[in-house]
Amino acid sequence: MFSISDLAAWFADPVNWDGRYGLWFLLLEHVAITLAALLIATIVALPLGLAIGHTGRGEFLVIGLGSISRAVPTMGLLFALVLLWGVQLRDVSLLVALAAIAIPPLLAGTFAGVTTIPWGIRDSAKAQGMTGFQRVRYVEFPLATSSMIGGMRIAFIQVVSTVVLAPLVGLGGLGFGIVQGLALRNYSQVVASSLVIIVITIVGSQLLGWLQRRTDDRL
Amino acid sequence: MDWFFANASFVAGLALTHLSIVIVPIVLGSILAIVGARLVRARWVPGVTAVLSAVYAIPSLALFVALPALIGTPFVGPTNVVIALTVYAVASMFFSARDAFSQVPSSTKTTATALGMSRFQLFVHVELPMAIPGLISGLRVVSATTVSMAAIGAVVGVRNLGYLFLDGFQRRIPEEIVTGLVAVFVIAIAFDGGLWLLGRALTPWRARGGERV
Repeated sequence: MFSISDLAAWFADPVNWDGRYGLWFLLLEHVAITLAALLIATIVALPLGLAIGHTGRGEFLVIGLGSISRAVPTMGLLFALVLLWGVQLRDVSLLVALAAIAIPPLLAGTFAGVTTIPWGIRDSAKAQGMTGFQRVRYVEFPLATSSMIGGMRIAFIQVVSTVVLAPLVGLGGLGFGIVQGLALRNYSQVVASSLVIIVITIVGSQLLGWLQRRTDDRL
Repeated sequence: MDWFFANASFVAGLALTHLSIVIVPIVLGSILAIVGARLVRARWVPGVTAVLSAVYAIPSLALFVALPALIGTPFVGPTNVVIALTVYAVASMFFSARDAFSQVPSSTKTTATALGMSRFQLFVHVELPMAIPGLISGLRVVSATTVSMAAIGAVVGVRNLGYLFLDGFQRRIPEEIVTGLVAVFVIAIAFDGGLWLLGRALTPWRARGGERV
C-alpha cells in the first residue's frame, strides 16, 4: 500500500513538481498565504499590544483572547466563515480566519514584551522628558522585539498548520496533496506532501526562534 | 438550535468519541512529560528542547498522515490521531513541567534531603505538590489545545466532533458547523474548569490564604 521506494519514485517524478498543483507552486502558495495572514495580524496586533502594554489597560483582553482562541478549533472557524460569506469569497474568509488565529499570540507576545521591561527603564525614559509616543517608539518597542518575535513564532505555527486545511474549502497550498491523496488513496502523495509541510514548518519556526534569541540580548 | 435539537443524540455520540480520543493524549502525554521533565539529565535538556520544539511546530494534519509511513500504522482511523496528539501533549507539557519544577525553591529541596528523604520521596512529597500550580496551568493549555486539535482528525476518518465541520460544510448547514464549534468549546471549557478545581483541591494551603508557596 505504501513503501519508501514508492515515496522516492514520487519525489523523483518531475510531474509532481511542476504545474498548478505541483510541489513548487503549492509551496509558494502556502508560504504566500501564511505571510499575508501574519502581515494582516501584525498590523492589528502590534499597535494594539503596544497600546495595552503602554497604558496597562486592557490586559483582560490579551489573556481572554489567548485562552478562548486555544479552545476554538481552527477548522470549524474556517468552514463557518466560508459558509457565512459564500464560497466566492473563500480566499477572504481564509485570510480572516488565519489572521484571527494569529492575533492572540502576537498580542500576547507584544504585551508581555512591554510589561516585562524593568520599571526603572520605563521610568527613566519618562524622567528624561520623553513623550508617550517617544517612549513607545524608542524604548518600549525596541525592548519588546524579542518577545514579539516569540509571539510571531507561535502565530506562524498556528497559521501554517491551518493553511494545510485550505484545500478542504477548495483553496490551494501544500495541504492539497494530503486531501487529494487521501481521496485517491495515493499514499505516496500524502506522505510526500506532509513531509514537505513538516520541513518548511520546522525551518520557519527554527528561523523565528533563532531571530528571537538574536534580539534577546538588548537588556 | 433546531438543527441541534433534531440531531442531539448524533452530536452526543460524536462528543463521546471526541472525549475518548482526547483522554489518552491528555493523561498519558502529561504523565510522560512530567516524569520526563524530572528525569531528563541536565546535559540532555538542550537536545530534548530542540526536538520537542520542532515537533510542536508540525501541523497536525501533516503528522496524522506522516505517522503511517514512519511507524507503519494504518492510514485511516484513530490510532494516528491518538499518537500524534500524545506527542503534541508531551511537547507542550514538557516545557510547562520544567518551569513548574524549576520554581520549587532549592532551599526546600535541600531541607527535605537533609531530613533524610530519598530522591523518590523528594519528588512525590515535596517537588510534585509544590509544582502543582505550574503543572495545572500547563495542563489547562494542553487540554484545550488537544480538544480543539482532535477535530482535525475527522479529515483522516475519525468520527468525532470535527465530522460536524466537514459534513456541515459539504451539505451547507451552518448550524451544524456552529454546533461543532460550540460543542468543542464546551468540552474544552469543562476540562479547563475541572483542572482548575483539581488544582484547588490539591493545594488546600493556597485556598486557605495561608503562606503561598
